Amino acid sequence: MSTPMVEARGIHKSYAGVEVLRGVDLTVMRGEVTCLIGPSGSGKSTLLRCINHLEKHDTGELLVDGNLVGYEARGGKLYERNDKQICAERSQIGMVFQRFNLFQHLTVLENITIGQVKVKGVDPDGAKVKARSLLARVGLEGKERHYPSQISGGQQQRVAIARALAMEPKLMLFDEPTSALDPELVGEVLDVMRDLAESGMTMIVVTHEMNFAREVASSIYFLDGGVIEESGNPREVLSAPKSVRLQSFLSKVL
Amino acid sequence: MTENGDATVKVVPVRHVGQWIASAVAILFLAMLVHTLFSRLPVPGQFSCRLVNGVRKCRPLTEWRFSWDIVGRYFFTSEILHGLLITLKLTVLAMLIGIVLGLLIAVMRVSTNRLISTIAWSYTWFFRGTPVLVQIYVWYFFSILYPVLSLGIPFTNVTLVHFATKTTLTAFLAAMVALGLNEAAYMSEIARAGLISVDEGQTEAAISLGMTRRQTLRFVVLPQAMRVIIPPTGNEVISMLKTTSLASAIGLIELFGAAQNIYGNNYLIMPLLIVASLWYILVTTVLSIGQFYLERHFAKGALRSPPLTPIQRLRRDVAGILSKFRTPRPAREVVS
Repeated sequence: MSTPMVEARGIHKSYAGVEVLRGVDLTVMRGEVTCLIGPSGSGKSTLLRCINHLEKHDTGELLVDGNLVGYEARGGKLYERNDKQICAERSQIGMVFQRFNLFQHLTVLENITIGQVKVKGVDPDGAKVKARSLLARVGLEGKERHYPSQISGGQQQRVAIARALAMEPKLMLFDEPTSALDPELVGEVLDVMRDLAESGMTMIVVTHEMNFAREVASSIYFLDGGVIEESGNPREVLSAPKSVRLQSFLSKVL
Repeated sequence: MTENGDATVKVVPVRHVGQWIASAVAILFLAMLVHTLFSRLPVPGQFSCRLVNGVRKCRPLTEWRFSWDIVGRYFFTSEILHGLLITLKLTVLAMLIGIVLGLLIAVMRVSTNRLISTIAWSYTWFFRGTPVLVQIYVWYFFSILYPVLSLGIPFTNVTLVHFATKTTLTAFLAAMVALGLNEAAYMSEIARAGLISVDEGQTEAAISLGMTRRQTLRFVVLPQAMRVIIPPTGNEVISMLKTTSLASAIGLIELFGAAQNIYGNNYLIMPLLIVASLWYILVTTVLSIGQFYLERHFAKGALRSPPLTPIQRLRRDVAGILSKFRTPRPAREVVS
């Protein structure tokens, strides 16, 4: 039995007095795809952002790859990690955003090389070779010299996935990757994510795409009001929801 | 009309009568301006007389209303050119101080550390709160406050360097420091607006790639903030070029000071003011051209197609006009 990739126990998080996460438990095994679903404001995105330390959780224990996120346990005390260590942790976790967040002033190719060159210290030529092969993988050969504003939303999101993959992450986080896309562009992004899942990447996906969750995820968590209402195998959870909250949620989105 | 779009019809553009009238009025005023700029005035009490067939005929002597001949004579004199050089030096150095310090203050201002952001805020508050001319005087007479400038450890007698203020702080240095520090206050606000204008998602994306805060600022936020920072900075440079003339008040002989010096001796006030003005306007024009290309460079990625350069625009216009004279354009088809 290997250790889980992500393990969260009793995660709490409040913003300005509002408790967004109220004791969340979550386990993600290596090579698995986990989907987080739930109404907006339920804390899905916050949980995701805690995992790569974009947000600090208040209490609870959060482990990624066996290490505490943001802290180091030594001699019965928790030492807060310094910026450099946190950056090193983050560089191993890929993140894909709802609004793509491609660097607007850089070309598609530069978007994929900048992290490799500036963070990992890869030489620029090697980074370019890698970027080209990743672009091919997400089906965007020939777009190297375009700027993000010159390509479609679906293409931008695929570049964003390639940008994250260029760091060779051990874990990929997707924060509603298809919510900002026109309906006809959703499929191309989901296809790339499906391929990625098949290649054995550990993924946590916040999504409203129930079909994707059903087909690709190995487990699904339903968050509501900052707690996990229901979780388990997606086929079972989605076809036979036990809680009333999930039943009413699914009746609205399906 | 047409059927099935086979035949073609002539497209008659809308006639803008209002624009024609406005253009005619504008041309009239332009003609008046040119006329008065190059008109001549009679010199009081001076006549040129000639004997024609034994009769003395006199005409009043005239001179250029704007004394163009005198302007031309003084335009390239060494005093004016030397003054221009001082003006340019002062502008460049004061702006350098302003931009570097301004950026630093802007970054401090958005810092999460309250003390640092308060220091930055106070700086802007202080230097924007007093007139720049007063600041120039204060720096010039700084030796009254601090006869000796020294760097040491507070509350001890240890000093590392020290020098006499009066001899060190020349008029040029006083003006440079005053204008630079004042400019930093304004530049910091411009830079801060630029930093704020960059979407937070850009920072998050950079951080989640593992970049440090400094790398994020340098490689992601600042290059994009530049698009917002450059145009008002160009404005500030142009404004600084002319504000340096205030330094003449503390006896610095920059462009305006040089003009003043000359007309103080010969009373050719207007011609020398015109000489100085023409030089200022000339440098401003050159700076504006530079600003256009700089803005174009930093618009990368923000616009789907960069704005045309004046040369490209000219080429396009000429090509457009030429095409009208070449083979008759295929008229527009009307699709029914």
